[in-house]
Amino acid sequence: MLIYFSSVALNVEIAAQEIFSFNGISITNAMFTGCISLLIVFGVLLYVSSKIRNNQYNRFVGLVQWVFNGLVNSIEDIIPDKILARKITPLAVTIFFYVLFNYWFSVVPGLESIHIGHIPLLRSMTADLNFTVALAIVTMVAVQFYAIKSLGLFENAKRYFRNPIKDPLGSFEGVLELAGELSRGIALALRLFGNAFAGEVLLAVITVLAGYFASFVLPIFMIFELFIGFIQAYVFFMLTLIFTSLAVAHTSSDSHANHSVPVTNMVKKLE
Amino acid sequence: MLFASSEPSSGGIFGALGINFQVLAIQIIAFIILLLILKKFVYPWLIKSVDDYRDNLEAASKAATEARFAADDTKDKVTKILKEAQVSASDIILTAKLEAATLLGDSEEKAKKRSEQIVASAQEDIKKEVIAAKKALHDETLELVALATEKVLGKVITDKTDSKLIDEALREIKQ
Repeated sequence: MLIYFSSVALNVEIAAQEIFSFNGISITNAMFTGCISLLIVFGVLLYVSSKIRNNQYNRFVGLVQWVFNGLVNSIEDIIPDKILARKITPLAVTIFFYVLFNYWFSVVPGLESIHIGHIPLLRSMTADLNFTVALAIVTMVAVQFYAIKSLGLFENAKRYFRNPIKDPLGSFEGVLELAGELSRGIALALRLFGNAFAGEVLLAVITVLAGYFASFVLPIFMIFELFIGFIQAYVFFMLTLIFTSLAVAHTSSDSHANHSVPVTNMVKKLE
Repeated sequence: MLFASSEPSSGGIFGALGINFQVLAIQIIAFIILLLILKKFVYPWLIKSVDDYRDNLEAASKAATEARFAADDTKDKVTKILKEAQVSASDIILTAKLEAATLLGDSEEKAKKRSEQIVASAQEDIKKEVIAAKKALHDETLELVALATEKVLGKVITDKTDSKLIDEALREIKQ
């Protein structure tokens, strides 16, 4: 056993590795996996919608429909404005399914066992910071977009920039709000990356430590990772909604008072 | 040996973490394309199904509420009808009892009258029969007397002879 351990070298790469470059654009193994999971997400949702359109229901369609219904209910619980809730539904639901499938892809057995040279062909995209940062950027931009649409450009800007002479405390609060937006985005990206990366490392370490018993031990950790994947997808989905709700809740002091307390509590729970 | 690759990268902290702005832009574009396609071709149907499901649920809930109200209403109506029926039944029973009592009284009276009539008729018949019997007895006595007289006189007593005898007897009495 000791000989086995000493012979195994675990190479954990934080960054996704380049498989090839196309016109100077680096195509990484995470991107390759991401393309596959993107097609799977698209295929699954298209299949479900086509079945619904043709009134052909089965258990899988029912399951996806049930999840979708639950997500829509969550959206409407967090965002009381029904029109805004309906507008943000595609973004939030796409984030959920995209993160979920990408995270679950990291649990696929033998994911990093196919190599081109010394570089694994497939690598979970959630364990690539480019993906999590990209999603965080999309989320934060969407939050600002909905805030501007709801409050107006200048009113939304007032959340961050106030006259320090007239309202010194408010201007400080604005700076804090700006820092808060930035930290929210960074936290969104790093939380998902950290969990996915740690999950992958955990599976790799368990594989090495369990040795020949890995076949019996790994499924337990894989099931655990599937659960964590669902939780992370739901957290990302919920935080997207909560940040939007917080940004939009600045419309009036009354509505702020009404919405901010439960939303703040939810943020605390999720973080 | 477990190690993380932390070799210095040319891109600083971003490079060390594997953040490549080109890849980042591709990821954002890919996600937006996926979002737009799903928004156009998938979500309308899923949202419609959710709306239909909610409408059905609402309709079912409404129907259930209406059914509950209808059941309550029916229950009230049934209770009311039962009460009315009970009242009606009591009235009917009372009326029936009264009518039965009246009928019984009438029947008794009729029976009494009838029996009295029968008794009266019977008495009259008896009287008639007594009279008839008396007459028959009288006639028979007369016949017997006539026969006896015939025997005594040795003549056949007819009405004529009888009248003659009576006349003779009356003359003897007068003398």
